[in-house]
Amino acid sequence: MFELTSEMFSYAFMRRAFVVTTILSASVAPVGAFLVLRRLSLAGEAMAHAITPGVVIGFVTAGLSVTSLLFGGLIAGLGVAVLTAYLARNTILRSDASLASLYLIALAIGIFILSAAGSAVPLKSFLFGSILGVDDASMILVGGVATVTLLTFALILRPLIMSTCDPVFFESQVKRPWIVDQGFMFLLVLNLLAAFKTLGTLMAVGLMILPATAARYWSGTITAQLGLGFIFSLLSCWLGLTLSYVLPETPSGPAIVLVAGAIFVLSALFGPLGLRGQFSATPKS
Amino acid sequence: MPPIVSIENLFLGFGDVTLFDGLNCDVEPGSILAVVGANGSGKSTFVKTLLGLQSPMDGRIEWPVGKPAEIGYLAQLTEFDRRFPIRVRDLAAMGAWQGFNPFAGLNKTTRNRVDAALEMAGILDLADHPLHTLSGGQLQRALFSRVIMQDAPLILLDEPFSAVDQYTEQHLLSVIETWQSEGRAVIMVLHDLSAVLDHCTHALLLGNGRASFGTVDDILTPDRLIAQGYMSSSQASWMFRGQSNGGMR
Repeated sequence: MFELTSEMFSYAFMRRAFVVTTILSASVAPVGAFLVLRRLSLAGEAMAHAITPGVVIGFVTAGLSVTSLLFGGLIAGLGVAVLTAYLARNTILRSDASLASLYLIALAIGIFILSAAGSAVPLKSFLFGSILGVDDASMILVGGVATVTLLTFALILRPLIMSTCDPVFFESQVKRPWIVDQGFMFLLVLNLLAAFKTLGTLMAVGLMILPATAARYWSGTITAQLGLGFIFSLLSCWLGLTLSYVLPETPSGPAIVLVAGAIFVLSALFGPLGLRGQFSATPKS
Repeated sequence: MPPIVSIENLFLGFGDVTLFDGLNCDVEPGSILAVVGANGSGKSTFVKTLLGLQSPMDGRIEWPVGKPAEIGYLAQLTEFDRRFPIRVRDLAAMGAWQGFNPFAGLNKTTRNRVDAALEMAGILDLADHPLHTLSGGQLQRALFSRVIMQDAPLILLDEPFSAVDQYTEQHLLSVIETWQSEGRAVIMVLHDLSAVLDHCTHALLLGNGRASFGTVDDILTPDRLIAQGYMSSSQASWMFRGQSNGGMR
């Protein structure tokens, strides 16, 4: 065991991978927790696809740089989020149907441009990320996103809890309740972009959702949910990276998400709010 | 003493639909106003308008002693996510959230206030329970404790007794009477004509494009209830059987 870790950490790219996923875990854990609690788990997946055209256009026009990824992805992601909210507020469609329609259009545009740009685009790294080749700019991106995310959460945590738990009450208490909703969507897009470079578009949401859903099986309070979500996320990254190192040719993104999936299954089986059965979907009379 | 809220010539509706118009009423400190009406008569729209979530088509809502920063508000129980992972005491504390330091925990004064609010609502023994373990009545008590924490001069309750048993209803009515004795005004939207009306000082009957405001005895008469589409004449003659004064009491 000691030999394995010392050999693994003798490589700079592995040390970088461990550092960047540790920071990423701290950042995506609270976002994932609130995605689950706000019943937006599938919306997170949809947003991961929605940022694709922005990232692709950024890549085609300015190369695979952190700046093009950040600006392209933010414009596409926030554009879809704002349009979704607008359609949900002003038309018969609810937000889930509006988001589904818009992300499918965005994804089609992304794939269309990606295909038209030809073989110069590294498709595999778009899908699964390139966690073993994280450069300085990517580390700064992840660090910056984590800083913004954690500071914002510290500021808006209580309003966010209220708007998630009882949106009707929250709307009655503040003048502009949409600031919290859109602020959270901004953090979601930002974290998807941070995870996008390292985990890829297919796996980015996995590190948000699975540790959060697993944590929900164990926690009766929001504090426990946030803390446990971070620990599960961290565990998934460390074990996933080790698995990927031990078994050459296995991509690190799916390895990390697979470990998170195993934690989810164990939590569903053994967590006090899982199948072991202390929870009943219908309230007591 | 000036009224807490004064409504002048209020006209509510949306698009081409008129819910009611010409409502004039003052809600005095210490009064309990029951808002009664058939489905679609404008009860929820009236509540949203008072909360400032919707604009009236015409008319004015005045706050003679200044609009409170918060209006104590209890939404319908069906709109609440009871699976959210917080404890009963955290839910109660939400009522005072605007005074909290975002970077610090609750201070001792607030913690004591939360305990007092839970005790008043009769659920101090459940303070550390997660919400998903509560029954419908216990959850309603927890939500009442949040309204207590709001410490507001005007309290809006949207169908507060629709999902609770008689014992809980009695306890929550005693909380409302405490608010009344403290000089707060309470506005309750009620779905049914029930014994709760015995505790109300005034009634606002909505329906058929009209709004009638006055004392409970003056407003909730068989003739008005039939005229404003709340019940049929056969239902009214059954409900008011044996009553000589024609009113609810």
